[in-house]
Amino acid sequence: MFPSNSLNDDRDLVGRARRGDREAFTQLIVQYQVPLYNMALRMVGKPDDAADIAQEAFLRAWEKIRTLREAPFKSWLFQIAANLCYDHFRRGRRYGVMPDEEITSNVVGLGIATPDPQERAEANERTRLVRDCIQALDHDMRIAIVLRDVNGMAYEEIAAVLRVPLGTVKSRIARARAQVQEQLQRHPDFFPTTEDAHAE
Amino acid sequence: MPSEPRTPAEPTLEELSAYLDHELDSAAEARVADHVAGCDECRARLDGLRETAHAIRALPMETPPRRFTIPEQRRRGWRWAPAGWIGSAAVALLLIAVGIQNLHLPAGPTATSGSFSTNSGGLANAPATRSEKGAVPPLSAPSPFTQQFDAQSAGAATNAATVVDSSNSARRLVLDTDKTSYPANGRMRVTVQLIGSPSTSLQSADQGLTLTLVRNGQGVALRPVGVESFNGTPIFGGWYDLASFPLSPPLAGDYRLQATWLIPDGSGRVLQVSVPVRIAG
Repeated sequence: MFPSNSLNDDRDLVGRARRGDREAFTQLIVQYQVPLYNMALRMVGKPDDAADIAQEAFLRAWEKIRTLREAPFKSWLFQIAANLCYDHFRRGRRYGVMPDEEITSNVVGLGIATPDPQERAEANERTRLVRDCIQALDHDMRIAIVLRDVNGMAYEEIAAVLRVPLGTVKSRIARARAQVQEQLQRHPDFFPTTEDAHAE
Repeated sequence: MPSEPRTPAEPTLEELSAYLDHELDSAAEARVADHVAGCDECRARLDGLRETAHAIRALPMETPPRRFTIPEQRRRGWRWAPAGWIGSAAVALLLIAVGIQNLHLPAGPTATSGSFSTNSGGLANAPATRSEKGAVPPLSAPSPFTQQFDAQSAGAATNAATVVDSSNSARRLVLDTDKTSYPANGRMRVTVQLIGSPSTSLQSADQGLTLTLVRNGQGVALRPVGVESFNGTPIFGGWYDLASFPLSPPLAGDYRLQATWLIPDGSGRVLQVSVPVRIAG
């Protein structure tokens, strides 16, 4: 089984980072860079913008870490990044940015790799459709479903990141899933429903 | 006169979605489960939400395009003030100090600065896995250099598990299949992502990757074919016809699909992950 003790590890690293230990903070960066970057990427759509947000989030966390007391570092860090995503939208960047065509054509979709070029093309298309559906959600629903289904956070953790009640988290995730489902069902060739599968 | 069995109230969209995530309290979870068991319409809604969640969870985790760093020194939280301001501030401080000296206040509690906290504690520490279910005992006792995660998933539309290298959290082994259960003549889609691999080779032997379908200690090796994602992560997998596997009869039964990655950096570290696979009779 995967030995997970990251909360205790965080406490130790955060304690050292609060005393100015750069190496400890660098370890925190290594630990969270992939999930934080992917959260930002699914929120803002463009890799460069997502990387800017993640970099700024780490920088602000480093500058403010002495103010962190009891809150878990992970929630606090994601809260900073979530605020930066909202700042990004407020600055008038395009709403629902479409990914670059070049990037779309090179992404292996749905984590699926196949030796068959046609299968690979279909997987790319599935990935593009899912990504577009997420981008079409309003910001509040988008961040809730990203934190849940991309980052795998528990509802309570999401509530802490977004500073909203648990019921709001539950509602946003449910409505986001329903909207994405409705959009995906318009592409039965790529997303057959269980009923379609039974009918075959 | 016997009363008719009562069907629990129809769950709301929020309840169905939270049920998928195991985020309902036990009473609500039982009520939703009871209702769904006897209601085709709600079962279909639940399946739809589950498939949607799986489609989102199956988006590839991308590697950041650059390294994130912090500066040698923290950014300044203050700026130099113009000389005139400093002079005015000094005069103001002097006046305040003189004023305080001439005051005779009763002794009282010392003011304290407030502590900063962003939220309450008690948050879940999310495991580094996308599996819906918890972990089950490993297939075999791992060595000190082996990290292992075995997902348990019954009835899920897709089937995935991840293990993270404890010595390098940017490195992870991700295994998934398109379903958990297949007919004996079915095709199984398998994907293995070697995130953070020190090698870019798309040869499974160079990567130290093996893939096996195992039951009762016996299994067949699957030959993974490599492709590359746009961000350079080596990805292996493909479609496999189950009927072509030289498995011992009876073919039907519960198997585990296991990926083992001997990280090609000379450290001897091994990441291992497995997911359940059922072949129906």
